[in-house]
Amino acid sequence: MTQTNAPQPVVDARGPELLLSRVAAGDRDAFQALYRETSALLFGICLSVLRDRAEAEDALQEAYVAIWHKAAQFDRSRATAITWLGSIARHRAIDRRRGAGSSATWVALDVIEQHAADEGRAAPSPDDAQSAARLDGCMSQLEPQRQRLIRAAFVEGATYSELAARCGSPLGTVKSWIRRSLLQLRACLEQ
Amino acid sequence: MNSPTDDIDTSDRSPPGDDLLAAELMLGLLEPDERRRAAARAETDPAFARLVDGWDQRFAPWLVRVEPVAPSAALWPRIRRDLGWEAPPQRARAPLWGSLLLWRCATAVAAGVALAVVLLRPAVVPPTETAAARPVTTLAHDDGRAAWLVTVDATQGKVFVVPVPGTVSPGERICELWIIPSGGAPISLGAVSDRKAHTVDIAEALRARLAAGAVLAVTLEDRQGVPHAAPAGPIVAKGEILDI
Repeated sequence: MTQTNAPQPVVDARGPELLLSRVAAGDRDAFQALYRETSALLFGICLSVLRDRAEAEDALQEAYVAIWHKAAQFDRSRATAITWLGSIARHRAIDRRRGAGSSATWVALDVIEQHAADEGRAAPSPDDAQSAARLDGCMSQLEPQRQRLIRAAFVEGATYSELAARCGSPLGTVKSWIRRSLLQLRACLEQ
Repeated sequence: MNSPTDDIDTSDRSPPGDDLLAAELMLGLLEPDERRRAAARAETDPAFARLVDGWDQRFAPWLVRVEPVAPSAALWPRIRRDLGWEAPPQRARAPLWGSLLLWRCATAVAAGVALAVVLLRPAVVPPTETAAARPVTTLAHDDGRAAWLVTVDATQGKVFVVPVPGTVSPGERICELWIIPSGGAPISLGAVSDRKAHTVDIAEALRARLAAGAVLAVTLEDRQGVPHAAPAGPIVAKGEILDI
């Protein structure tokens, strides 16, 4: 099978916001344009959690149906459109991963390093680049093992118990590590 | 051994606090039951929802760092169907390609596009949101006259071609259809008729090429050796595959 699904360029942050406001008003053309502009990124997000094209497409389908119905709830003072869209896709993917009979396989924690290695990837806007640098900077202050756990949780939506099994540490310890890291991260980002 | 504080674990028993719970929900750390409860709370408790938003924002830079991957072209129609924008597909019935509806569509579009070229009786335009509705690509001559009307079903690997009679004179040669991927070289899809409507079956490996933005073109070629590796004759008509 020929693979022609070339990655699309990073989405312009302003386009989806305008489109979303039109979608909220029931504009189907705007919804199609929004799908065209954002589906590759959202599919990438679903794939990173589910690691299976068919599963990820099911999640993406649910995500866009939800996006159509919830577009009016989008509040640009609370999130950028891309973050809002992306988190809907991510949540759908995680729900599906938790679903009974999900065949999603665990990825070795090493794979998560790849995500870390992508840190240099260009951000859509200078603002985004700045917030990415802040997040990466604060992450780098955590111990490497904890960085990996947080990344695995975010990129794959792995649960505490999955993470504990994978790193061979007791569940309570892993919970405690991650919670402490999250608080540390929050404090760092608020500086 | 870890530092002493790491081994003192009270977090498993004492509630972690709303903001940590929001982070755990956002990251996907919770087990299914906990997750359902927390997600339900985010739906009904605006203060908690704001905490979840806060974590979404903190990790937003990672969200866009994911490698974008195009989903299959079949997904958009599935979404439209879920939204009730079109009737469910009628499987196990007469093939789509022979359906009266499609014929009417093709005819109606032909009437609009090629009004000056051929006299077609304008058919009743069917509702646009139907199971059989697919974009029609017009393969036009350089002067804009329509020569073929084409609908593409990438998932089924079918290209349905309707010639506008009398617009092409292949003579001794044959009309050969090509797909030209954006930025790529033409790939032959085989011969097409200049007189009869028919379906061209597309090999599985080529179906992904039938994407919006690719160009379909017809050239006049030798009857021998179809499908050719590359076009040698002149392009008589071409058109871009329309949007999903």
